[in-house]
Amino acid sequence: MAERVLTIEDLRVSFDTYAGEVQAVRGVSLHVDAGEVLAIVGESGCGKSVTAQTIMKLNPMPPARIAGGKIQLGEYDIVAASEKEMQKIRGKEVSMIFQDPMTCMNPTTQVGKQVIESVRLHTKMGRKEAAEQAVDHLTRVHIPNPKERVKQYPHEFSGGMRQRAMIAMALSCKPKLLIADEPTTALDVTIQAQIMQLLAELRSQMNTAIILITHDLGVVAGIADRVAVMYAGKIVETGTVNEIFYEHKHPYTEALLGSLPHTDARKQERLISIPGTPPDLLNPPKGCGFAARCRHCMQICREELPPAYPIGETGHASSCFLLHPDCPSAEERGDRT
Amino acid sequence: MARYIIKRVAYAVLTLFVLISLTFFMMRMLPGDPFLGDKTVSATTLANMNAKYGLDQPVFIQYLRYMGNCLRGDLGMSIVYNRDVMGIISDSFMVSADLGIRALLFATIMGILLGAVAAVKRGSITDSFSMFVAMVGVSVPSFILGALLQYFLGLQLRKTFHINLFPIQGWGSFNQTILPAFALGLGSLATVSRLMRTSMLDVLSSDYIKTAKSKGLSQRQIIWRHAVRNAIMPVVTIMGPTVAAVLTGTFVIESIFNIPGLGKYFVISIKDLDYTMISGTVVFYGGLLILCTLVVDLLYGFIDPRVKLEE
Amino acid sequence: MEKIEASRFQWVGQSAHDSEAISRPSLTFWQDAVRRLVKNRVAFVCLIVILILTLFSVLAPMFSPFDYREQHYGHTNAPMGTVCNDESVAGFGHTHLFGTDTLGRDIFTRVWMGGRISLTIAVVSALVDLILGSVYGGISGYFGGTVDIIMMRLLEIINGIPYLIIVILLMMIMRPGMFTIIVAYSLVGWIPMARLVRGQVVALKQQEYIAAAEAMGGSPWRIIARHLLPNTLSVVIVRVTLAIPAAIFSEAYLSYLGLGIPLPMCSWGSLAQAGIENFRMYPSQLIIPAICISLTMLAFNMFGDGLRDAFDPKLRR
Repeated sequence: MAERVLTIEDLRVSFDTYAGEVQAVRGVSLHVDAGEVLAIVGESGCGKSVTAQTIMKLNPMPPARIAGGKIQLGEYDIVAASEKEMQKIRGKEVSMIFQDPMTCMNPTTQVGKQVIESVRLHTKMGRKEAAEQAVDHLTRVHIPNPKERVKQYPHEFSGGMRQRAMIAMALSCKPKLLIADEPTTALDVTIQAQIMQLLAELRSQMNTAIILITHDLGVVAGIADRVAVMYAGKIVETGTVNEIFYEHKHPYTEALLGSLPHTDARKQERLISIPGTPPDLLNPPKGCGFAARCRHCMQICREELPPAYPIGETGHASSCFLLHPDCPSAEERGDRT
Repeated sequence: MARYIIKRVAYAVLTLFVLISLTFFMMRMLPGDPFLGDKTVSATTLANMNAKYGLDQPVFIQYLRYMGNCLRGDLGMSIVYNRDVMGIISDSFMVSADLGIRALLFATIMGILLGAVAAVKRGSITDSFSMFVAMVGVSVPSFILGALLQYFLGLQLRKTFHINLFPIQGWGSFNQTILPAFALGLGSLATVSRLMRTSMLDVLSSDYIKTAKSKGLSQRQIIWRHAVRNAIMPVVTIMGPTVAAVLTGTFVIESIFNIPGLGKYFVISIKDLDYTMISGTVVFYGGLLILCTLVVDLLYGFIDPRVKLEE
Repeated sequence: MEKIEASRFQWVGQSAHDSEAISRPSLTFWQDAVRRLVKNRVAFVCLIVILILTLFSVLAPMFSPFDYREQHYGHTNAPMGTVCNDESVAGFGHTHLFGTDTLGRDIFTRVWMGGRISLTIAVVSALVDLILGSVYGGISGYFGGTVDIIMMRLLEIINGIPYLIIVILLMMIMRPGMFTIIVAYSLVGWIPMARLVRGQVVALKQQEYIAAAEAMGGSPWRIIARHLLPNTLSVVIVRVTLAIPAAIFSEAYLSYLGLGIPLPMCSWGSLAQAGIENFRMYPSQLIIPAICISLTMLAFNMFGDGLRDAFDPKLRR
């Protein structure tokens, strides 16, 4: 069995704003093993980025605040870690790549220096050795002419190349965990595939665990081992890629997959949009977050939070009252869908 | 990069040309005759004088000659002092430059520091203090500030506490430079610190700062290695106007503190209607500022790698 | 597992429309800006200070028992609060609130008279800047291409010459007076405004929401009223507010150089200049106009900052 890299238990993150407490993450539990890719999917504002940034404590605190739960990264207890300890963990044990490679690099510093900065920070490497290593790192992410490229500035790189450089930067200290926060959203479709391929390749080379945050289910299918579907600050369904794509149990997962276009033109299917908007997490609903938009919504869904019901032995679980053993059939419930 | 330099130099030359032309034509539009004033002279004397100074020739020829003289550094004879203007300038300018550089250093260094600290510790007492200083700086004209400083820190301090730390006039000792440099620099300090604060806040909320944090850099390392350098860029772009503000400020500060610099002569010449002195000083100062702006622009091209790609 | 009653599994279906209801009241751009401006206490106080200074400048000279030109040789350089003992003038028996100057003129009256001049110069200059700058910048930005290039190059060259130097030159050749100061200042003051307006126009031309509004069939007037104006105007208004203290500063500076309002008229700048000449003996003669100038500049600057914050869509909540 692979080494467990990250365990999150019942994580709660709140933002204290002028209007009150926004509960962005409301009890998330997940785990990632070495060499595994976990995809967290969900629409914007569902708390997936907040969850990811909290693993590195990147959210400015305040206004953000960890309201409860545990994050165990290898031997480190992240929730209890001080800022000083976090500085040792960031970049070395866990690193991150962001959505927009255009704005994520310092415009006035040479790319090579930026790529090698965390290595120099965490290993006290000499200037000369670091410069040589920077070239190696760029070579590993398939940037052509790395020797010249290290001396260039970010604006001389194309978007795809910048994201490659970001990946080289993030992996330079061989972290146990890489968090990729929508790494391909800002890129052209053709480049997207290349970047995902690169991530897959480096994952198997270095046995790094990856948390991939995205709203693009197409990206997920290609690379992920397991998927966690997030909605309104909670994980509503989690399972292997096949389970989520073909045996999903949660109405939200179903709706999310239904909104995905098929490449098979003969099917002539209409895209299904999900009516409504996610709930305002300033006043989160008492029951299931998806209740208002759910076609199968029942009385209990509005009153109580559904727990995660395990399905089978593979770790597939879904938080929906439809999976409760006492739940009657559709006709008995009066479900007219 | 070469293109950028050529473009900047071309602009500077054009601007200088416009400045000299403007000065020439404005001086010609002055009411009255340069030799008449309050004296009456005979027609022949007048004709002789006109001939001596080339005023009997067509305007165009005069213009070319004026331009040529300016470029050679011949700015004419001061009517009041009866010396050549360039001589007065070379005698007194070093004092002005000394004062100006002190004020400029004070304004930029303190301004950048105050602005950066205010941004990093946003909402703190330091922030409020530096923004208060900035507000006073932009709201009190330098000559009023100078006079008030003289009164309170010069006269009253000596009278009430017998502390003679800040002489209120003259030039030479270090203590004599403190008040004028402060009065002259405070306005620019305010501009610099406000801009630095805004720009620093912008930079601190940018994505690459988050990247730096995700690498494990400490707050201090992030600020020094990534934030300050980027935040200073907009400050560098206003260094040209800042130099201009400080230099034009020397006119009034020097006459208030009785400092024997070029500015003091300039103010006296305005009061005495010494036209050649005025136009000569205008051309000199204008040329100097155009040069300073050019240097700042070129410097900017070197420190910001993004400029190289432009055009 | 906990038992759940069958009745609670009753189907209720979607209620998506409730979830789309907008819980926060919607405000137009201007409503929101005004609301935030009023909430910004500093800016609001500044506005009140500006109004009070304006009111005094308009009214005080009218109701003062002294004329701003009237000289009382019996009590020159009188301290604040001296009672007038000159029987030959209308103000006999009244108090010189701010004292008198070297010629025995009532400083209180002169300060507010000076306020009229200084504020008029500042406001008119700012408005002239606005008009010239908007026309120049608007044309340059709207037409773009060669016109834009030529106009902007020209601007850059003029801008290379420090404006105070041009103003000094202009003041030399024109007859001194309020009109001259306004003309001289406006001749150079419009340049930043022109740049600003051009930048706004160019940026707006490229904005996708304008294209979107056009594509959705919005009429040109509607686009101008709902999209272009709020976005350009807010920046321009802020700029005008900040141009006023700059003009007040220039006026004071010119007065100090002796290029200001000719006597016996006065402005805050000329009063400060006169005050500097004998402030060692009578500091109040400098301090009073200094406070007026500084307070006005401070109030306009901070009000401008407040306006900028109020208009900033990033801060909109």
